[in-house]
Amino acid sequence: MLVLRRRAGESLMIGDDVEIEFLEVNSQGVKIGIHAPREITILRKELQLTEMQNRAAILTIDPAKLNWAGEILEAGK
Amino acid sequence: MPLLATKYFGILSCEPADCYHFPSGIPGFEGEDTFALLNLPGKEPLVFLQSAKTSSLCFLALPILVADPRYRLSVSFEDLEILKLGKTRQPRIGAEVLVLALLALEGEADATANLLSPIVMNVQNHRAVQAIRCDFKYSHCQPLPGLARSEKC
Repeated sequence: MLVLRRRAGESLMIGDDVEIEFLEVNSQGVKIGIHAPREITILRKELQLTEMQNRAAILTIDPAKLNWAGEILEAGK
Repeated sequence: MPLLATKYFGILSCEPADCYHFPSGIPGFEGEDTFALLNLPGKEPLVFLQSAKTSSLCFLALPILVADPRYRLSVSFEDLEILKLGKTRQPRIGAEVLVLALLALEGEADATANLLSPIVMNVQNHRAVQAIRCDFKYSHCQPLPGLARSEKC
């Protein structure tokens, strides 16, 4: 992984078309601005993972294939 | 009593008390904003989240504390607003909200639970949201050793 240090007001380029601008940095987090062509999808990573996992859940799950083993149920009480 | 076409159990009668409204939909299924929570005898602790609009859309889920007895919620301000809950603290699991982990079954592995994005349901007003955490303290595919494939048993 490439690791860079940038300060507020600085930016970086990914390829020729995508610019990430670091607008504000404080103890709460980092505010960034992204300039990118419209056809590039930008998603928070956790949202992308959730969408993928929800689709996988619907395609893969089958209650007939699952056997409840019971130990977790006891632990959850 | 309204009837509901379900993916696994044919037509069931469904009480309004079992229905939850997801104002922002479910990621990946944005148009789906109403789900019935089905608890069926003999299937506990598994529960089913059946879409009211699409009979072929049904999630299988576990109460989050069954999937992880030490689970700690981290619902964002935006999601608390959707649920119409106070923003000064996290809601109490069981008393104020029901919290479910959606299950998946991929490859040959045991079932997994999505602990990154729990379904949080306000028991008072029946508003619900998939409350995606941004802290990555929990996995979106946490293996559940207790939930084995029946072929193996």
